[in-house]
Amino acid sequence: MKGKYHVMVQNNRIRYEFDIKRNITIIRGDSATGKTTLYSMIALAARLGDSSGIEVRCEKKCRTLDDLDWKLILPALHDHIIFLDEDNLFIKTTEFSRMVRESDNYFVIITREDLANLPYSVEEIYGIHAAGKYHGTKRIYNEFYHIYSFMDFPETVKPDEVIVEDSNSGYDFFHSVCDEHHIACKSAGGKSKIKDALQISNQGNVLVIADGASIGSEMNELFQYMKLHPDTKCYLPESFEWIILKSGLIDGNEVQEILSHPQDFIDSQDYFSWERFFTTLLIQYTQDTYLHYSKHRLNEVYLHDRSKMMILKVMEKIVLGD
Amino acid sequence: MLKIIFGDIDNSIYHPPTYFDNQYEDEWITDPLSIEMIRDIDKSEVISAHLIDSPILGPISPKEISGGVKTLMLMAFDESGKIFNASSCGDNCAKWIVEIGRRKDLTINLHHVLDFSSAGEFDAWMLNTGKMIHGYREYLEEALRIKER
Repeated sequence: MKGKYHVMVQNNRIRYEFDIKRNITIIRGDSATGKTTLYSMIALAARLGDSSGIEVRCEKKCRTLDDLDWKLILPALHDHIIFLDEDNLFIKTTEFSRMVRESDNYFVIITREDLANLPYSVEEIYGIHAAGKYHGTKRIYNEFYHIYSFMDFPETVKPDEVIVEDSNSGYDFFHSVCDEHHIACKSAGGKSKIKDALQISNQGNVLVIADGASIGSEMNELFQYMKLHPDTKCYLPESFEWIILKSGLIDGNEVQEILSHPQDFIDSQDYFSWERFFTTLLIQYTQDTYLHYSKHRLNEVYLHDRSKMMILKVMEKIVLGD
Repeated sequence: MLKIIFGDIDNSIYHPPTYFDNQYEDEWITDPLSIEMIRDIDKSEVISAHLIDSPILGPISPKEISGGVKTLMLMAFDESGKIFNASSCGDNCAKWIVEIGRRKDLTINLHHVLDFSSAGEFDAWMLNTGKMIHGYREYLEEALRIKER
């Protein structure tokens, strides 16, 4: 499935409106914000239709999935938006992760657990809040908000140390740039090891650079770490390949058009998370050119002054060097 | 004393709200502690053991209060010896977990790192490592070292 879908769920007292645009969306947050009510309303509407008194408006069918028979039901569902509540233990299993990977449905999962098996985006972790009453009626209007909304830095970030999530081309690039400016730079060796890398870091202002497209499972703990260590910041673009594509190094309007609404180009069945799509896109667009890109080892062309400047320019408010 | 254990354990109730719906006692609802917790978290008023006034849902039964408050009430009043999964609680429940831990010996199970930063001063025994922690900073440092979720 690809595309962005607007969902409206309402009864006489409460109304929810939100957009779903990736294969995995997570809802969490404080107690008593209406998460379970939303789930129950969708479950009732899917089961009883109009008889439920609940209206669900969406271009795609919305339904829930239960512990009892999910393995039988899920393979038979196509082009649905499937809602799952936190009481479903199976959402933590590798089997569920595999079925999500192969599925052409979108999943909205209500949980506070990290779900390390699922690569979800920091951008698709939401809380629910009441935005007021709807057009002066007694109906309360609820909407989603980003739980981790710190992608835009209010001030310039000038790190003393950089921790890069991966150990491939992205790390090669940042290591080279940091080396020039005598900034310490190390690879965490994977998203689940970023916290370990932070705990042995004592370098003042620390900048973590990680793939926002799949960092979701680490965000609760990273967020709390940053609250205690305000000198630590996270820069979470979709991926390193996304930065290169965004930089304009690759000619043509087509790439920028894709980046402006990637959900319309990324089929969830082909790409478990968006960073894989951006890697494929970059490889495809640079094939047989001097910018030939490999995920595993950085083409040195990307370290030439012009390329480097264009890539770094994408990272607004981050200064690596003087 | 509050005791915290991360990961899968025996004798734990994974989804306390369902357990609450089938096990709660009427007198739990009208206990002053419950009245305060329902007021603080659900912004609702207890009218009687069978009726709660919610500003959003209107008059509701105890089965319709939030999963977080149901879990807190189990922690406070259940005497079965079960350990309840506090990952059913939002961060706005943290101060109440600390409060219940001051009143009784309370062991909670976590499958994520609950944010206790708004819970004020507290001590807890981290059962995975056997370490006693004092306050949120020590809790978080210890929780991040523990691999079980």
